[in-house]
Amino acid sequence: MDHTQDLELFPGRRVTQMLFKEVKNATELRQSAVDGQISGALINPTMLVDPLQVLVAANKAVHLQTIGKMKTRSLYSEIIFNLSPTNNISEAFKRFGISDGDESVMVVVVHKKDEVQLLSDVTARVDGQQVPVEDVSSLSDPAKIKKLYKIAPQEEKCGNLLDAVVCRMATKDVM
Amino acid sequence: MAALEFLKTAELLKQGAEARVYRAEFLGKPTIVKERFPKRYRHPTLDEKLTHRRTTQEVRSILRCRRAGIRAPVVYFVDYTSHCIFLEEIVGSSTVRDHIASSQQSDSGTEQNLQQLAERVGQILAKMHDEDVIHGDLTTSNMLLRRSQKDGESELVLIDFGLSYISSLPEDKGVDLYVLEKAFLSTHPNTEELFEKLLKSYAASSKKSSAVIKKLDEVRLRGRKRSMVG
Repeated sequence: MDHTQDLELFPGRRVTQMLFKEVKNATELRQSAVDGQISGALINPTMLVDPLQVLVAANKAVHLQTIGKMKTRSLYSEIIFNLSPTNNISEAFKRFGISDGDESVMVVVVHKKDEVQLLSDVTARVDGQQVPVEDVSSLSDPAKIKKLYKIAPQEEKCGNLLDAVVCRMATKDVM
Repeated sequence: MAALEFLKTAELLKQGAEARVYRAEFLGKPTIVKERFPKRYRHPTLDEKLTHRRTTQEVRSILRCRRAGIRAPVVYFVDYTSHCIFLEEIVGSSTVRDHIASSQQSDSGTEQNLQQLAERVGQILAKMHDEDVIHGDLTTSNMLLRRSQKDGESELVLIDFGLSYISSLPEDKGVDLYVLEKAFLSTHPNTEELFEKLLKSYAASSKKSSAVIKKLDEVRLRGRKRSMVG
């Protein structure tokens, strides 16, 4: 159900994504995240197209953390910031982070191979039903995503929505 | 540095004067990594500035092309400390160069195929120039043909934006076409007519083409073994 990918550029570290539906305690979770009590990024799944989107954001976040050039204060807030097409941090949290009352959450944890305990610690705090990460495509809102990332219809000739989103995330700092 | 360590395990595809190109798996996807390595013959400060600028220009041009509907590889990640660009590997493709070469060798209805190809290349370049993107290294080796995942039709993908930049000047666009003409005619013998078709298609597809073609004619009169009389 989880989706785990090794970060090839950072040997020993991996990214695990876990998707939850019917979440009852979004408000409490969001507050814990703000307080820095959760070792994970809590993302609004309606803005996600595919697990690769999260991986690209996480890889960039770990890279910036490694060279000491993160724009936000923590690795997890950096992942959320990297998902956003703009450089406004609070807007990124608003759109890509979870809001009070949200019913689904994507939890992302960056950890070492043997740190399985971290995962169960985070999972335990979510009051919801875990579902396969691949289901995220059924939760995404393509219209909202296209509008936010400003993707014009002509770009769809080059590839799919995921391609357009990933390309923008990767080139945000120079455009 | 993380990227450089990683590249030690990657497969080196090409080494050029400017960069090394590798193939590897990144985030589970087949990826091409383009590394602009430090040039010791340059002054270090200048090298850093120039390399950084080239990297950002490459990445900007790719995104600009994609936004206009021109196929180019997806950028996955850019490491500005080691100047590495991690790009989508275009699998199942062949270069236009190989395509033309093999088409010329076999006899199976090549005339029409190549004509159509030249037309499509002209159209795509017109679109690119209309977006004010100058490729900078137009050759048939930098154009890929891939079978589409959607409908089985072949798609044209532009690659290697390493020398690209943004410009609206007809002169720059004319030079871009001149570079292609020289590369085209020297790589593929007896293709003058084919290239003419390409230019015609370009002229028909671009709104600003007349100024560009005019400049192309002027540029042709310059250069080696050319008399600038008249």
